[in-house]
Amino acid sequence: MASAPKAISSKTAAMTAVPQSSLFKRMRSQKQLMLMSLPILLYVLLFSYYPIWGWTQAFQNYKPALPLSQQEWVGFKQFKFLFKDDTFLLVLRNTIGMSFINMVLGFVTAIAFAILLNEIKNKLYKRTIQTISYLPHFLSWIIVTGLVANALSVDGGIINVLLMKLGFIHEPIMWLSKPHFFWGIVGASHVWKEIGWNAIIYLAAITSIDPSLYEAAEIDGANRYKKMFYITLPGIRSIVVILLIMNLGWILDAGFEVQYLLGNGVVVNWSQTIDIFVLKYGIQIGNYSLATAAGIFKTVVSMTLIFAANAIAKRFGEDRLI
Amino acid sequence: MRTRTLRLEPVVFHTFNTIVMIALAVITLYPFLNTLAVSFNPGNDSIRGGIYLWPRVWTDQNYRAVFAGGTIYHAFWVSVARTLIATVLSLFLTSMLAYTVSRKEYVFRKPVTIIIVMTMYFNAGLIPSYFLIKDLHLLNSFLVYIVPGLISAFNMIVIRTYIQTLPDGLIESAKVDGAGDFRTFFAIILPLCQPVLATVALFVAVGQWNSWFDTFLYASSKQNLSTLQYELMKLLSSASFSNSNPAVVNANNGAAKLNMVTPISIRAAITIVASVPILVVYPFLQKYFVHGMQLGSVKE
Amino acid sequence: MGVATRKKLWGTLYLGVALSLAIAGCSSNNNNSSASQSSSQAPSSANDSASPSASASEDLKPITISAFIGSPNQQPTADNRIYKKIQDELGVKLNMEFLVGELQQKLGVMIAGGQYPDLITADPKLVTAKAVIPLEDLIEQYGPHLKEHYAAYWNRMKDSSDGHIYWLPNYGAYTGETHSNYYSGPAFWIQKDILKEAGYPTPKTLDDYFKLISDYAAKHPTTADGQPTIGYTTLAYGWQTFGFLNVPEHLSGHPNDGGVVVDNGVASVFATKDISKTYYRKLNELYNQGLMDKEAFVQNPDQYNAKISSGRVLGMFDQHWNFQGAEGELISQNKIGQTYVGFPLVYDGIKDHYLDRGVINLNNGFGISKDAKDPVRIIQFLDAQLDEKWQKLLQWGEQDVDYKVDENGKFYRTPEQRKQQEDPTWRLANKAEVFLGYAPKLEGTYSDGNATDAGGQPDEFYASLKPEDKELLDAYHFKTWTDFFSPAPENEVYYPAWQIDLIDGSDASIANKQMTDASLKYLPKAIMSKPDKFDAVWDDYVNAYKKIDVKAYEDRINSQIQWRIENWTSK
Repeated sequence: MASAPKAISSKTAAMTAVPQSSLFKRMRSQKQLMLMSLPILLYVLLFSYYPIWGWTQAFQNYKPALPLSQQEWVGFKQFKFLFKDDTFLLVLRNTIGMSFINMVLGFVTAIAFAILLNEIKNKLYKRTIQTISYLPHFLSWIIVTGLVANALSVDGGIINVLLMKLGFIHEPIMWLSKPHFFWGIVGASHVWKEIGWNAIIYLAAITSIDPSLYEAAEIDGANRYKKMFYITLPGIRSIVVILLIMNLGWILDAGFEVQYLLGNGVVVNWSQTIDIFVLKYGIQIGNYSLATAAGIFKTVVSMTLIFAANAIAKRFGEDRLI
Repeated sequence: MRTRTLRLEPVVFHTFNTIVMIALAVITLYPFLNTLAVSFNPGNDSIRGGIYLWPRVWTDQNYRAVFAGGTIYHAFWVSVARTLIATVLSLFLTSMLAYTVSRKEYVFRKPVTIIIVMTMYFNAGLIPSYFLIKDLHLLNSFLVYIVPGLISAFNMIVIRTYIQTLPDGLIESAKVDGAGDFRTFFAIILPLCQPVLATVALFVAVGQWNSWFDTFLYASSKQNLSTLQYELMKLLSSASFSNSNPAVVNANNGAAKLNMVTPISIRAAITIVASVPILVVYPFLQKYFVHGMQLGSVKE
Repeated sequence: MGVATRKKLWGTLYLGVALSLAIAGCSSNNNNSSASQSSSQAPSSANDSASPSASASEDLKPITISAFIGSPNQQPTADNRIYKKIQDELGVKLNMEFLVGELQQKLGVMIAGGQYPDLITADPKLVTAKAVIPLEDLIEQYGPHLKEHYAAYWNRMKDSSDGHIYWLPNYGAYTGETHSNYYSGPAFWIQKDILKEAGYPTPKTLDDYFKLISDYAAKHPTTADGQPTIGYTTLAYGWQTFGFLNVPEHLSGHPNDGGVVVDNGVASVFATKDISKTYYRKLNELYNQGLMDKEAFVQNPDQYNAKISSGRVLGMFDQHWNFQGAEGELISQNKIGQTYVGFPLVYDGIKDHYLDRGVINLNNGFGISKDAKDPVRIIQFLDAQLDEKWQKLLQWGEQDVDYKVDENGKFYRTPEQRKQQEDPTWRLANKAEVFLGYAPKLEGTYSDGNATDAGGQPDEFYASLKPEDKELLDAYHFKTWTDFFSPAPENEVYYPAWQIDLIDGSDASIANKQMTDASLKYLPKAIMSKPDKFDAVWDDYVNAYKKIDVKAYEDRINSQIQWRIENWTSK
């Protein structure tokens, strides 16, 4: 419909350089943009921001039965409980450790998978592999961890059997009772479950790369790997950077399900996350205030991290989240 | 020399690639096939473990247990309705918002982006949200499935990032042709965003389809608002409950009380029942992000 | 600790089918109006207590009662036979909502919203929130059966905070003789084949028991189908830790009080005492001999059950109901020799106290919410269903349909009737299990001598025994599985301590969590260490406990024990 984009790109530059008009004037000319976004903004303020009054719970001994006026105010007691506990540093370390491993493994494997999948020319083959790869996403963690525990069992678990057949080990290893393997096992389980699902977003990004770039590269004699490195990867670079920044904000969300299901007393020093800690000492014993306090702490950390990461991205001239 | 590597290289690469892909397919297909096998195996027998790719004894009793109550047929249609409506609305609103914050000249671009992005990093808590839903009279109403979750910050950012990779010239030329932002968005951006819209549609739809918590909190007392996932959760929790329950033991003096349906088997069956509809619809979305559309062809 | 025991005394929920001479199908058909008339007047002929003053016409007013059930259950079918009878004859339509997901979350939201169904299952939160109404006066005025049923427990049912009765306990109020044939509680379990091969000995101590296991394991390194045998295992996963952590209190002759032992009315935590050290050191020996399951502390319940149901596990300590599914699977493979008998092992010179008397299931059952439109009608309904005629219908079912009556008036089930009781789909259409589970109910025997439910009927029990079981019981000259245990002594007035509410978010409840965490962290380490390292790890364990506010936990329990002694002792 529109005329060829390249022809007008010089004109574009000229247009953005239009002399700075006053804010008011710009707003007037952006009536449609405002109409398209501000009602949605109000909606978000109502549904996401308005309920934040609930954060007052963090400074109370909150009892669901009572109205706000009758709640007992306890100041920073909940935060103190959180931070003064010996295990808090431990669970903080575990949370960050597991998040970091999940993040790195998750990004690397999903991107590699998307790129390799993109090299497949046969459409049916490509679609079949892609479909299969995302199936585990629909299984609950309890099913997946059950299979992981069986695979790692000393009692004929496939991992031990294979390693022994291949001669790497002489007797079965009790993987789940070795604290130092725990983070890795959690990371690998995440990859197993989510690799196909995570790759979808990159596949979509790859489709936006202009095919003419590949054609031009081919004419220039670039081989397959050059094209991957100089066209495909840069083509998905902005989404990768943005997702990285976003995920960095979730560094304290390592979850609790996998760790809860795979963990045991023997590895508890390496398996317990903030969420499990809060579950045990907050929600399970009816102390909702502790859960809220932990949530506020996580939010503060998230905000700090994403603004910092965003600033760094800006300095390096990368795409930014905000 | 050079020509030889050129001929050899594709073979080596494709062999390598095929091995990787097949290996990946095997390990990711296994859990699903295993679940399928368990779902067709008698529940009491599954306690023994050792089911891999094929049921030890074939049975359809787990599925019969899932369909027995008869409530899941209606719930299925509620799920379909909420998924369709919410996906279309969410896709439309999220992409519209994403378009506005992709416009570098937009004065509110930054504040809007920050306000939306922050929502990913805090959670106000269950009880204040419940009050809001209550005050808005959304309790026990179908709208409670649609209204609260229409805008996802994550999806908005994904779409915005995609729009930003589109050639600027497209929009500028539309402007030159006198198109307003509405028209630019509808006529140019939306069609060009098919791959990312398909991706986001998948995210929203899967989220909607799998959701049961909102039913639990806001609509649990109205049976005709129950969703498929909620009905399946009910089944699963009642199966788990009666299996960890001293009462079951006392029944029949502890004699062979053959729990034909166990949590393991019912979980497998409901997993299959819940994912089959997604698998059926999937190829229609998949084609957009696996093959994309040829950008060039749209431009013509 | 003691979570298991905290699970509701579900008792005989799934059992009964019932009958009642009074409502044989045809007679109620022929006689519809008079049947509903008489049933609406609560008291039965068999149990001729004073009639309530409420008039019959008021009773008959049809009512829909909404109920929230705090456990996950399946919705009964719309045309459920028993619920239909309740609707037709008692004029009550029950509209039940069942829990899905987390109970505490659901209650939190319900309380925050401030709207409740008419009937609601018990939780301390609801009392704090003033969501339920006091029931004493209602029962006095409109509930003669309830009054009689709970007479012996009246003081115990009063809330310790304000002295009102808010909940109608669903189990533990007995009438007539009680039969317990089947043992679902804690014990050291051992495979029947081991006993048979050793000539049916009676192990009394840990040494006796582990000797039997090690001798058998030496002779049978693998099962008949070639899998390696496992001498002893335990499950310590999630909330299912009682089979690991509660053992010392049983070995030392204490009843199941959860995380404490009570001596002379004073409760103390036993986790780091000698009674614990002795047991865990024994497990350490066992581990180093290779008899203890290497994977015991990392296994999940699925793996635990898979091992048991493959017949490989020679013994373990557990609550019977906790591995019942796995044992059922052994039975269905006809591996009766690999199913288990429980023994009450104790330390030298101690008398076992494994078996206990049923206790009133406080803080359980139904309460009536402040939003209920007609509390009187609800109490009248709960009172009416306590009538023997209704209890027989709820617990046994309909005569000839669900059970038969022999020439001596004894109820029994045919094999087909027994089988249909096992079918979950059938039960959804033919039993009112969920309501029965939470409602006030008769337990023990009816006035005609039949057990209140099929599980308590001695003949029903014998019919369910396999030939191997009969042989074994005969060899020991026992009649039932409970004969292996010493008879239960009279309960102490405060028993059981595990029922004590620790109060949400209190120091006591935090300490409770921390203690469980410490035990699960250090005990496996101690057991899996070399014998000479055991003491060192044990010391670490004791030190970890010293950092916990154990006293807060003990103080809460002790103050409640004292309170119970003062308020519950019948003077």
